[in-house]
Amino acid sequence: MQIKAVSREYLEELFNKGERVDGRGFMDYRGIGITPGVIPHAEGSADVTIGNTRVLVGVKMDIGEPMPDKPNEGTLTTSAELLPLANADYEEGPPSPEAIEFARVVDRGIRAAEVIDTEALFIEKDKVWNVYVDIYVLNYDGNLFDAGTLSSVTALLTSRVPKLEGGEIIREGSLPRLKTKGIVTSCTFAKIGNSIVLDPNGNEESFMNARLTVANDKEYIRAMQKGLSGSFTEKEIERLIDASFEKSNLLRSSIESAIKKYKSD
Amino acid sequence: MSEIVLPGNKISEEPMRLLGTYVMNNATYASVVGIYDKEHKQFIPLEGLWQPKENDRVIGKIASRHLGRYIVDLNSPYKGIIITKFEHARLETGDIIEATVREFKELDDAMVVMLTRPKKLYGGLLLEIKSSKVLRVIGRGNTMINQITEYTKSTIIVGLNGTIWIKGGDVSLASEAVKVIEQEAHVSGLTEKIKHMLEEKSRANKSQKEGA
Amino acid sequence: MEKPKLILENGRRLDGRLPNELRPLSIKAGVLKNADGSAYLEWGNNKVLAAVYGPKEVFPKHLADPEKAIVKCRYSMAPFSSLEEHGRAGPNRRAIEISKVTKEVFENVILLGQFPSTEIDIFIEILQSDGGTRSAGITAASVALANSGIPMRDMPYAVAAGKIGNELVLDVNKIEDNYSDADMPVAMSPNLGNVLLLQMDGNLTKDEFSRLIEMVKKAGEKITAIQRQAIFDFYNIKEKGKEANEEAK
Repeated sequence: MQIKAVSREYLEELFNKGERVDGRGFMDYRGIGITPGVIPHAEGSADVTIGNTRVLVGVKMDIGEPMPDKPNEGTLTTSAELLPLANADYEEGPPSPEAIEFARVVDRGIRAAEVIDTEALFIEKDKVWNVYVDIYVLNYDGNLFDAGTLSSVTALLTSRVPKLEGGEIIREGSLPRLKTKGIVTSCTFAKIGNSIVLDPNGNEESFMNARLTVANDKEYIRAMQKGLSGSFTEKEIERLIDASFEKSNLLRSSIESAIKKYKSD
Repeated sequence: MSEIVLPGNKISEEPMRLLGTYVMNNATYASVVGIYDKEHKQFIPLEGLWQPKENDRVIGKIASRHLGRYIVDLNSPYKGIIITKFEHARLETGDIIEATVREFKELDDAMVVMLTRPKKLYGGLLLEIKSSKVLRVIGRGNTMINQITEYTKSTIIVGLNGTIWIKGGDVSLASEAVKVIEQEAHVSGLTEKIKHMLEEKSRANKSQKEGA
Repeated sequence: MEKPKLILENGRRLDGRLPNELRPLSIKAGVLKNADGSAYLEWGNNKVLAAVYGPKEVFPKHLADPEKAIVKCRYSMAPFSSLEEHGRAGPNRRAIEISKVTKEVFENVILLGQFPSTEIDIFIEILQSDGGTRSAGITAASVALANSGIPMRDMPYAVAAGKIGNELVLDVNKIEDNYSDADMPVAMSPNLGNVLLLQMDGNLTKDEFSRLIEMVKKAGEKITAIQRQAIFDFYNIKEKGKEANEEAK
């Protein structure tokens, strides 16, 4: 069963009472599930669900050239695919502007928070590890940004670096962990009329006028993105930044306990 | 307990005209997942798609308006069409409507569902379930739908195309009941189970409000 | 690199299987909320997600067939699916060919005439690959279609048959595929006994072909049973839940 549509009237009736259609509070996440290591062929992977939104990330590493302005560091490339099987409205073809924005926002959070120790990926002159993070959306029900960030970070934190032996890349057997420096999470908010809610589901996103994603770690805001053609006031943004820092504790501990469980299994 | 039958499974050595089956070489085979009741020679499709029939009551959303017609999204491979000059209703794109099927026919190289007597539905929530489960939500002699409205006090309209409109009363409890019915449509004793669920939850809601 | 010995002294393959033995196979139906039907399949190290949308309106309109539904199929491999390097984004020629022959399997069994002027979309995503992915995809898509309620004459299955040295084998994995003497994916319509997909390259005698088809049909009984189980489980889980509740009272 799907809630196909909520009338704007019903939605606002509930908002005025401080309620959402699925019974959550304005600043509540839906249930979050994080499972690392689901694709053993990849160097790292994670499957994340937030409510009915489901995202799978695979991390692969190949040997290649560094960026010209950072000759002693490995590289990171983040891509996202809104798979046509995830939603009736997603079409086959090259990435849409939505998919590209999604990948670039997740990438900025990971890069700015220095999740990966890129200097540790240096091999020798003109030879570094290229890290590819591919975000596959398997089922859409709102808030791809937070699911994308959670799954990318979890996959990276549980990734292993292949071994280089006599010019050959060994991807199996006992491999060293990918060296990571930081951890980042994001919180995405939807503005609907005058109400702002955290973790909008698919129905709520269909009424959304503006969207704000804040990526942060314990100390700093690492990335932000305002989306769609509505607007936020400065005060609203400050309030949402506070909410992000507060909620990020829950998100970070979800990642940490998922990884702990994975390591012990 | 009757066994679940899969597409391609033979259910009879004689040709029968049953929904969800096909005949080949004088034998009958299932074409969708279903349950075959040998005793009553009935095939109950567990999955299956709505085949529009005259007088079916449906719920849809006005998708657009072109040249004297409204195009209606019916959660089906077929679009609904309302001819504006025949129907006296003021409708706009985005409106949720209830309507009746006048005819299922070919129009401009497509099969369409001609609709009549559209009525706009204001507010409320729209649910989509698999159309093969709709009759279970209604229940024999309306037993199931009546007990839901009795406990939730909601207004509920069930479209045979699998779209259900709920307004007022305990919308969330009504939605939940529909969800359980869709998942357990094939389980016996469902009407009783839903009744218990409705009793318990509406009692809980009532005491919650009184305690507040 | 020297060709490894794929059949060992004891007659078993590198992973310990007998020539006609299948890798472990499991299927779960109805795993995606938005799709009209779906299935997740694991076959050896293959991990495959299949989904179906439709019947729905045809886009672009000029492709619509007033007599029947049209079928579109997309087979695609995730860039992180292989044990080797990162894959390129977007469909390559191999994926396009596989999409076409897979589509042709389902065009045969779906009762297309019941839904004129509509389209049925089948999506097969290979999340992890280890040989025989098109067979895995077809086997999963069959279950996804049954789950969607789209009427079919039969539920196809497929398996990658092959020849290693002089030995005829079933369910070839990646490393065997790299060094095989013949590679032959086959899709069958189990109840009607027809061949719906057949591709082959390498060298094979006519007699070897016939023997392989017999092996495929025999193994098909096991594959079909697992497809059925996936559908049964989709309904039974709720049945079992009900029984457990009754006992708890």
